[in-house]
Amino acid sequence: MRCLSNSIIGVAAALLLAQVLSGCVSLRIEKMQEGVDVAPPAIEFIQKKTLLEEVLAGYGAPTDLVDMNGDFALHYRRALYRGLRVSMGIPLKSVLLPNPSMEAKGNLLRYDTAVFIFTADGVLKDMKYEKGTSRSLWEDYWR
Amino acid sequence: MKRACFVISILLLASICTGCAVFGRGKNFVPFDENALKQVTTGKTSASEVTQLFGPPNKIVKLSNGNAYVYERSVDKGTGVWLVVLTFANFDTRYDRIVFFINNDDVVTHFGSSFNSETASYAMPF
Repeated sequence: MRCLSNSIIGVAAALLLAQVLSGCVSLRIEKMQEGVDVAPPAIEFIQKKTLLEEVLAGYGAPTDLVDMNGDFALHYRRALYRGLRVSMGIPLKSVLLPNPSMEAKGNLLRYDTAVFIFTADGVLKDMKYEKGTSRSLWEDYWR
Repeated sequence: MKRACFVISILLLASICTGCAVFGRGKNFVPFDENALKQVTTGKTSASEVTQLFGPPNKIVKLSNGNAYVYERSVDKGTGVWLVVLTFANFDTRYDRIVFFINNDDVVTHFGSSFNSETASYAMPF
């Protein structure tokens, strides 16, 4: 019986501590994604041979379409945002003037991108691909 | 004593479990029908037929040998959970897009489409 009583007091104390801390510590985790995965270009895509219809058949409609003074580019893009915020503070404002607090936050927006540049006749002139979301989140952030 | 502890625990548990969840869904709606693409034939369908089928485009891009008509709509879904000291937020936006390449004779030469808006999902950020 005493053991049960002790454990109840322990749980109550832990909950009370969490309740007290609730105004002092907070953690926020965010993620935002725009668009779908951008696949790497197929090995069949060859510069000066691949046609516009082949890229459209493989990738669908582009995110952006840009005129490049004669040539034009199809831009496929997926954006991935991650954010983290940790804040700690002692809410004494209503009791005392000092109101110590600390907040740390970081966010990183990365892109998966494929760009296909075509001549006015619709023949592939150049292409570039980068999968930004596959790199290390930590290293990209501190780079 | 035991009853008092139990009541205190329940009250504390109830207060610690305060929080909320939010689910939101937004739509940037343009009323084009993907089935109408079956009526588009490259080399035959004209620009005016495209606008009859799909309405006015969201964007027109001037190209050296014609224009591109861009149709776009999106669905975004947001999920938010607040658990006293923890907050999780997730936003997912997906698009439906159609692009028609139209030459200087106002005829569709190519078109491409992607329909992903229905794949937007509610989720946690991990």
